Amino acid sequence: MQNKNEIALEKHGSVVMLNIQGDITSFSEPFLNQAYSDANDQGAEKLLLNVEDGAYINSGGIAVLIQILAQTKKNSQQICITGLSDHFKKIFNMVGITKFADIYEDVDSAITAMSG
Amino acid sequence: MACTFFLDWRSSVSIRKVIKVLEDRISIKMPENQADSSVEIILANQIGYERLAMACSASFAKMFGFSKDRIEDLKTIVAEAAINAMQHGNKGRRDAKVRVSLGYSDGTIRVRVTDEGEGIGVKPPNPNISKIIEEDGAICGFGLFLIEQLADQVEYRKNAHKGHVVEMALRMKA
Repeated sequence: MQNKNEIALEKHGSVVMLNIQGDITSFSEPFLNQAYSDANDQGAEKLLLNVEDGAYINSGGIAVLIQILAQTKKNSQQICITGLSDHFKKIFNMVGITKFADIYEDVDSAITAMSG
Repeated sequence: MACTFFLDWRSSVSIRKVIKVLEDRISIKMPENQADSSVEIILANQIGYERLAMACSASFAKMFGFSKDRIEDLKTIVAEAAINAMQHGNKGRRDAKVRVSLGYSDGTIRVRVTDEGEGIGVKPPNPNISKIIEEDGAICGFGLFLIEQLADQVEYRKNAHKGHVVEMALRMKA
């Protein structure tokens, strides 16, 4: 019943995008941490988390994402998120994730804004 | 109308496939007397099974004409209450069960999530993300926080027979 994530990294200029396939739950922790470490190995200063359309995100997944946000804050990296449904945009706003990560409608608008 | 699902299989079938089948195939007939309508789902105490309760609750709410936004709210509160029941109430015991019951009346869905534990004791404070990120604070309490933000009414109490129950009400319009 444990879900797995496949996370591919794509570099778009100064932005490293993490394409996160699968639901984001507490089981995502090792996958997201590894992807974040790989992005750091590429010298990422700006990260974009691209969540799969229709992905389920629960409080365990929110906790994992907050751990990543804390690390990016310590490492002075910019982090943004895209691919969220309206419901999860609302949830991320409720829990305060939007104080630390801007949310964009789509990948193109995120990369354009982050590259500016 | 009462309808009970017992979900406790051990197959390796993809949970996404199961959910898709449930969401596509679950069809609950509109009862003649809506006040008597209820559904109960008994879940194995295993993280991931909350998604089955989410699928059932979504079908239930759709039957009564709830909007897509409110159905998403319902799915989240059902999932978070079930996860809390599995992790904190039943303390991860594999032989324990979580019962999720849904009832509808007067434009409101009432959800009861029952575990076999002792209850939440002292409710944790609302999570403070700034403190977590800037001061390495503990990451906890997000499940209860989401339930209380999204539901119109929440109560925690001991079950009359055994265990602990979280009762939540969600109105058709927020």
